[in-house]
Amino acid sequence: MPGAIVLTAFIMNIVKLATISLRNLFRNSRRTLITVLVSAAGFAALAILAGYMDFSFYGLRELTVCKGFTAGGGTGHIQVFRSESLKKEELFPMQYGIEDSEKIRADIESIDEVSFTMPRIEFNGLISNGDKSISFMGLGVDPEKEAGLIQYWNSLEKMAGKTKMSDAAYRQLEKAGPYGVLLGQQMAKALSAEVGTNLMLMSTTVDGAVNVVDVTVAGFIRGAMKSIDRHYLVAPLETAMILLQTDRVSKIVVVLKRTEDTSPVSGLVEAKISGHGGKVFFSVIPWEKLAEYYYSVRDVYNIIFSFTGIIVVAIVFLSCTNTMLMATMERVKEIGTLKAIGVSNVWVSMMFLLEGFFIGLLSVAGGLVFKYVFSVTINNSGFKMPPPPGMSSSYLLKIFSAVEFLPWIALLIIFSTTLSGLLTLLKIRKISIVDSLTHV
Amino acid sequence: MPCIVNSVVAQLVDVSKYYGSGEGRIKALDNVSISVRRGDSAVLVGPSGSGKSTLLHLLGCIDKQDEGSVIIDGIDTSSKGLDELAPLRLDKIGFVFQSFNLIPVLTAYENIELPLLFRGYDQGYIKHRVNEVLEMVHLQDRMHHYPRHMSGGQQQRVAIARALVGNPALILADEPTANLDSRTGADILELLLYLKQKDSITLVLSSHDSVVLERISNVIHIMDGRVSIDSPVF
Ligand SMILES: Nc1ncnc2c1ncn2[C@@H]1O[C@H](COP(=O)(O)OP(=O)(O)OP(=O)(O)O)[C@@H](O)[C@H]1O
Ligand SMILES: [Mg+2]
Repeated sequence: MPGAIVLTAFIMNIVKLATISLRNLFRNSRRTLITVLVSAAGFAALAILAGYMDFSFYGLRELTVCKGFTAGGGTGHIQVFRSESLKKEELFPMQYGIEDSEKIRADIESIDEVSFTMPRIEFNGLISNGDKSISFMGLGVDPEKEAGLIQYWNSLEKMAGKTKMSDAAYRQLEKAGPYGVLLGQQMAKALSAEVGTNLMLMSTTVDGAVNVVDVTVAGFIRGAMKSIDRHYLVAPLETAMILLQTDRVSKIVVVLKRTEDTSPVSGLVEAKISGHGGKVFFSVIPWEKLAEYYYSVRDVYNIIFSFTGIIVVAIVFLSCTNTMLMATMERVKEIGTLKAIGVSNVWVSMMFLLEGFFIGLLSVAGGLVFKYVFSVTINNSGFKMPPPPGMSSSYLLKIFSAVEFLPWIALLIIFSTTLSGLLTLLKIRKISIVDSLTHV
Repeated sequence: MPCIVNSVVAQLVDVSKYYGSGEGRIKALDNVSISVRRGDSAVLVGPSGSGKSTLLHLLGCIDKQDEGSVIIDGIDTSSKGLDELAPLRLDKIGFVFQSFNLIPVLTAYENIELPLLFRGYDQGYIKHRVNEVLEMVHLQDRMHHYPRHMSGGQQQRVAIARALVGNPALILADEPTANLDSRTGADILELLLYLKQKDSITLVLSSHDSVVLERISNVIHIMDGRVSIDSPVF
């Protein structure tokens, strides 16, 4: 027989068995429905978990970029340092600061994907109200640009209308002029400071001398974490420069239009500035390298997802295997008849394999409906999650569509239901034709 | 010798079959040797429990003997397992069971085409042949009915058509009329005998029915698993 005919015959046999499978599924509609519901619930559970994970990663990522989880503030997408500052201890403040930051920033801003850049100075010292001094970890910033980073967060479409951040503090700082400062709320309490209170900043200059600058409280700012709040201070760049007697900055923060562009743009930035400072070398660090916790959080989530996945697959598989075994028991006579006619065991179990496959398909279809209904409900319920460990604010729960995960989850579900159909082969082999003929 | 092999469709040689083990062991067939020639037909006669079904199961390769050999169309099946024999059953044997044994979720037409599909025939031929046998068993008008919507007699006619459709070397029928009332049973028997004459099929059936004995001259008597034949070679 020519190959084409063999193939056609093969397909006809499959079609025939599929017909028997489907009709049996509909004949036992209640049992089919229950099995499909279990598997569909499994699909929906995994899809929603994936959607929640997607949301969490996304939130964690953008929150790192815009607000950060350390005293250093939001990381932006990329930061540029002098390479030495990452390798060696400074002998005096700003020893490895960046000199002509304006020029470098202009170069970086000429890249299309870059939204803007901003300089920052990290400095520390003592802050005093005359009666009491406490140590601070300060951040010298360009308030307008920092407000821009918050605007970036607020413009994120996926977060639209969900959790807005306020840039009011930076606006107040901008309005207050060069000698305003923003204090962490705990610090303000410790110094009994209010808006308008005059305070003193004390620090070491680049020459090693002690310098003092008078400042006025322009507003308050909440550190990303409570533990930081007591020592958190934000001042305009000029104030920090005057205090330290420097015109260098600690780093340049690059903010992109889209976070997805981070790694390609990192390369572009590196190329742009590599020739710059003669013997001075720069390091270009993407945000995720500045946030080591991001990887550990992701690992934890992946473990949770894998465990849940294994449990769900096991439940789907067991429930479907149970259904399949019940079906083979009920249809012993039919199986025996097919075998007597001359249909081999493998072909007979193909019938059940197809049944498992159809159950899988129906489950995915049902699961998609479940998933849709659940995520719409959750996303519109305004349900708030408690603040993550160490963070000070709760956030709105959202389930993302996680479209790129769905095909894999579907495959997993269909694979386990189909496999349970294939397992019937073990049972089918044992069914004796002669016994099945007398079976009622 | 080759001449005999050619004309003999099925052969049991010194076949014994036991059920159970130890004290309760039953010898269902005791050293049975018979041959069935192409185009011939025979009826198995014997009291209940004498071994008729057992003999038909062995002839149809749906059960294995404990001793002796079963040769179908020149092929010695003794060394092969039941699943290995599936293609041989598909090609050479048609079964008619006492309780019809149709696939409940398939229509009459779909039940009948089943053996042809698994033999890999093309659609055109299948359609032609199924319609042909539907006509032979007078069921053209019922071809799209499901078994549950058919009477016992109609179901058994579908089963006969299914056994017949692939032109098998041997058709086996184990008390095909036992689940039917006597009138319908007689009709079915009439049909089988008519087909035997017209289509020259090779048929072995078992029956309690005395009518059968009048119509089929080759009678195999079976008693406690032992066979005695009216005409030793038929
Ligand atoms: N599966 C089995 N297990 C044990 N013993 C069996 C089995 N099948 C048949 N037997 C025994 O083998 C013997 C022959 O049985 P068989 O079914 O071949 O008889 P039969 O002639 O077909 O009877 P009937 O006319 O009642 O159908 C009987 O003694 C029966 O009890
Ligand atoms: Mg019997």
